[in-house]
Amino acid sequence: MKLDLVHDLQEAYRKTLDSMSRPGLISNIQDQASKVALEISNFNPPAPLVMVLMLFDTEVKFKVCSKREAEIAELINQLTYAKATEIENADFILVLNDADPEEFEQVINSACPGDLHDPHKAATIIIEADSVSNDRDLTLIGPGIEIESFISVRTSHNWVDLRADKNSEYPLGIDLIFTDRNANILCLPRTTQIWQEVAG
Amino acid sequence: MRIEYNFAFFDEGSKREIRRATLKAVAIPGYQVPFASREMPIARGWGTGGLQLTLSLVGKKDILKVIDQGSDESVNAVNIKKLITKTTGIKVTDEASEATIIQSRHRIPEIPLQSGQILVLQVPLPEPLRYYEPSELETKKLHAEQEYSGAWLMLFEQIMNYGTMSTGADHPAMVHDRYVMAPSPIPRFDNPKLNHSKALILLGAGREKKVYAVPPYTRVESLAFEDFSFEVESFKNKYCGICGAKGVFLDEMLDDLTGETFYQCNDTSYCLQRLNQESAGRGIYNDRV
Ligand SMILES: [Zn+2]
Repeated sequence: MKLDLVHDLQEAYRKTLDSMSRPGLISNIQDQASKVALEISNFNPPAPLVMVLMLFDTEVKFKVCSKREAEIAELINQLTYAKATEIENADFILVLNDADPEEFEQVINSACPGDLHDPHKAATIIIEADSVSNDRDLTLIGPGIEIESFISVRTSHNWVDLRADKNSEYPLGIDLIFTDRNANILCLPRTTQIWQEVAG
Repeated sequence: MRIEYNFAFFDEGSKREIRRATLKAVAIPGYQVPFASREMPIARGWGTGGLQLTLSLVGKKDILKVIDQGSDESVNAVNIKKLITKTTGIKVTDEASEATIIQSRHRIPEIPLQSGQILVLQVPLPEPLRYYEPSELETKKLHAEQEYSGAWLMLFEQIMNYGTMSTGADHPAMVHDRYVMAPSPIPRFDNPKLNHSKALILLGAGREKKVYAVPPYTRVESLAFEDFSFEVESFKNKYCGICGAKGVFLDEMLDDLTGETFYQCNDTSYCLQRLNQESAGRGIYNDRV
């Protein structure tokens, strides 16, 4: 079945909003992702593309970090009319699984954190992970979390410390959306503080 | 002739704009995120911001409740419900506990909000500092610098003039220890419901084109002084003349015949629900006077 640009994207949005409002809450958009995959086969796994279709349009500037950057940026532009740009100017940055670690570090360091007058102009970074779960790897506290919540994000990128540095001057900071192979989504707004379990 | 509407009235571009702003609003609790507002087919000045938020949220599975100053049946509430049901076909309800989206003007329902619900509050004046600073550029600067002494001074002057912090509705609150926020003209009685709420609360101002948010489990503290603490409207020893409820927000009424004053629940569907439950003999309310 084809992706319904009205109803499927509305459902994906509500799930994303739910996960952004409750950091640690993992939502699933497999239904929408599989519909996208039927139509667009060269974007796999398809969950990040659901986010793109949901949020991007001519008002949006984006950056793709991937070995296939040119191809994917062109596809996104064709689908949404959003414009590709450099990391510093991007409203949304897509970090795909095959992005190299140095580029990832550069993304976090150079992404726009907003400024005190316009903290909402900060970038949202959509990161493709192998898997996200509620395993007790990282502890989250902050708005949207009753006491604490637990997550585990399996990715080749070392993001926890980089994010903490980037978000040290609230209300400036970046907001993260993780997607995984099973079309799970997990959001970490800049207000979420992360505690790492110390091994041993 | 049949006019074809977009689902939820808006074109998808308008929804995307509000959705992007809403996600940022959730990430920066209490901060007013600007967005491009569309003209709406309802009376201006009534606050279209709430409606725009609802239209960006609503899906086929939603159940909607709309209340205006505590009433589900006011002309405004009915008009909004009509627009939304006509363009979505979704179910509406008066029961707060049944709704997935509650759009409200000037009240937070008496029935506690639940996780999974979204409360949309309509905001006429989103800027809590506007009272003493007319320039938008300046208020943005004050928020940026977390310079809120004007807000405190305003409260202090009220204490000096009236002996109490009788701010009436829209008493400013500090959100997540960072932004001072206008909670919309809800009575002070409803301010504590914003703190550590189980539901996501979204606030929309149509004319000023702003959306802001209080995520669940977020600290919202009404501004107050150490020796002049924040107090809600008191209904001590008063109760609803219809359903007997105590500890709720009451409207003072005048009996035309006897000239006596009596009180009744401002939240009319709450009041009705209590009456229905009582007549059904379920007896879950034991506080009848
Ligand atoms: Zn009553």
